[in-house]
Amino acid sequence: MPVTTPLLERRLHFVVGKGGVGKTTIAAALAEILARQGRRTLAIEMDVAGRLPVMLGAPGPARVPEAVAANLFVLSLDGQAALEEYLGLVIPVRRLLSTVFASRIYQYFVAAAPGLKELMTIGKIWFEATREEHGRPVWDAVVVDAPATGHGLQYLRMPRAARETFGAGLVQREATRVAALLEDARTTAVHLVTLAEEMPVAETLETQAQLREVLHLPQGWVIVNRMHYRQFDDALLRRLAEGSVRLPPEDAALVRCVLERASEESGWAAINAHYLGRLRAALAGVPVVELPFLFVEEFGRDTLARLSRLLEAAIRQPAEAVAERWS
Amino acid sequence: MTLAELVAAHRVVISAGSGGVGKTTVAASIALWGALQGRRTVVMTIDPARRLASSLDVGALGAEPREIPATAFAAAGLHPPGTLSAMMLDQKGAWDALVERHAPAEAVPRILRNPFYQHLSQTFAGSQEYMAIEQLCVLVESQAWDLIVVDTPPTRHALDFLEAPRRLGDFLDRSIVKWFIKPYFSAGWSALRAVNRSVGFLLRRLEQATGVSALIEISDFFNNMSGLFENFQARVDRAYQVLRGPETAFVLVTSPEEQVLGDAEYLTAKLGELRIPLAGVVMNRVHREFRPATRRAEKRAEVGPEDVDEVVRVVAGALGDAMAEARELARNFADYQALARGESLRIEQFRTELPRRIPLVTVPNYARDVHDLAALAAMHAALFGAPPPAAA
Repeated sequence: MPVTTPLLERRLHFVVGKGGVGKTTIAAALAEILARQGRRTLAIEMDVAGRLPVMLGAPGPARVPEAVAANLFVLSLDGQAALEEYLGLVIPVRRLLSTVFASRIYQYFVAAAPGLKELMTIGKIWFEATREEHGRPVWDAVVVDAPATGHGLQYLRMPRAARETFGAGLVQREATRVAALLEDARTTAVHLVTLAEEMPVAETLETQAQLREVLHLPQGWVIVNRMHYRQFDDALLRRLAEGSVRLPPEDAALVRCVLERASEESGWAAINAHYLGRLRAALAGVPVVELPFLFVEEFGRDTLARLSRLLEAAIRQPAEAVAERWS
Repeated sequence: MTLAELVAAHRVVISAGSGGVGKTTVAASIALWGALQGRRTVVMTIDPARRLASSLDVGALGAEPREIPATAFAAAGLHPPGTLSAMMLDQKGAWDALVERHAPAEAVPRILRNPFYQHLSQTFAGSQEYMAIEQLCVLVESQAWDLIVVDTPPTRHALDFLEAPRRLGDFLDRSIVKWFIKPYFSAGWSALRAVNRSVGFLLRRLEQATGVSALIEISDFFNNMSGLFENFQARVDRAYQVLRGPETAFVLVTSPEEQVLGDAEYLTAKLGELRIPLAGVVMNRVHREFRPATRRAEKRAEVGPEDVDEVVRVVAGALGDAMAEARELARNFADYQALARGESLRIEQFRTELPRRIPLVTVPNYARDVHDLAALAAMHAALFGAPPPAAA
């Protein structure tokens, strides 16, 4: 039995998922949970779009760790910059890079070294996750909003691939250290965000198998986002439809609409229940966490706070209890 | 102009937008409409939308257009006077075909294994997007198609798709490529050092630091592929001719979620900068808002916590009591009203920022996965305002 730490207590959290499933929102919610517990938390986005920082209250992308709330900081990583920073360290003559020709040659070199940029980005995350000041870690927790699945896995694959394929050199030594941290179930967890619909579930199962069998990364939660739970009985809806005939026209119009929304919700609830069942059956032993669809006019800071409380409750108790509360 | 007129007036329709908004489905539905209008239609998808492929009854989608059999249409109650073919972008296959066309036969296997080439063709930012456009040019030049619908790669910002040819063109710029072509590299390091001592030094440091010996690979690749790069800029220019041409229409697919709309606004602005006009917008997965017809009932559109009681009263009246069920139904209604109200405000806001001539259609959030011909045809009411005549 390998040594592990309860998921919430780990230091390095990766949040992975298909585009459009709410991955960034979940990463933000997780960072809020950790910060609320009094842990100094860094939320990292792996490009410079600024979505995660803005969601957590920053004005835009953050080139250096920027405080947004008590115990909560944000950082936007730029792979190109990380690589240049690293190569700047190993090539003492930086002015060489300034000539156009040299920088173009350098561009080719970077392109020719597959995954170097991804490796350096992960290396930067490793640096933040292990950084110490005055003998103690700077961050108690680091949450990473990884790019959409395919691309996100490329990043997580890099340290291992680099360790095996790069010749002996600084990069290989670096990759070995990074890979060791990523694979350590005491410090790291990779969480998958999905929806209980066909394509997202299929992709999640593929990703999960990759993580377990090929990448050997510590499995975190599978977070099923935007669940619909209300299933209205067909007989009830028929009775309502029949009863609406007796009503004055404007009331009948309202009831028709109530009926439409009821079957819309029931439809999604049925789809969600079906694919959640499939997901759970295929992922025996993996902690599956459900989050309800939130009906709001606008997804604001208060909605995020609500979602992070729901997530906190969901990861603290068996998922069945949550589903029951929402049914 | 309506979306139907827009599609009728163009030969190429490109559906763009961020991932997870139903782009592939909208592209397939537009293509089906084309076939039902009597056009010889092809839809190229980038996403391996397996279930869509199987519902189109074309087996696994391949790099060659495959026609959807009449039996599949008939099973869905459709009898299109035109044809519909589907194909999937095979990025690796398309690049490999380029190599086979341009490299000497004996060098082909070596180039295909070359790590620099593999990176360029598979993971270089924009190489998938570039190949999609290259494939589009091939389809445009062929006389076989009246309507070509392209589902763009799922990039965070669909913009990558438009900038890819230029970026790849810059990357493969001849003035730099020639440095990698004989005689400098084939003679090895000494020749390079003679050309430029400091560059040689820089590269050696890079190789030592990273453990990557890439220069030989770069050199080998460019030496064997020089034919390709000779006319690469011309290909890039041709790609932009097609993208900006009068027969091409860009249709933005988006959804009324805040984050997705943010991306859509950004894309719209950037399209303008690239001189590629946006032709239409499909707002997908929209929740309908209840808008009562009479003044008296108008208050109910604003169903806040206090108005739910009113809805409960009406529903309970229709059910003949059953208060608990009525309350649950009313709460569900109020939830969807809140969602729909937020969406319609955002859509209105988005609409005001668009030029008026650009059609914007909304497609309701179907409580089902859209994955067969009948479901694709059902979208036509929302997209084109009328059921296709052949399906009637």
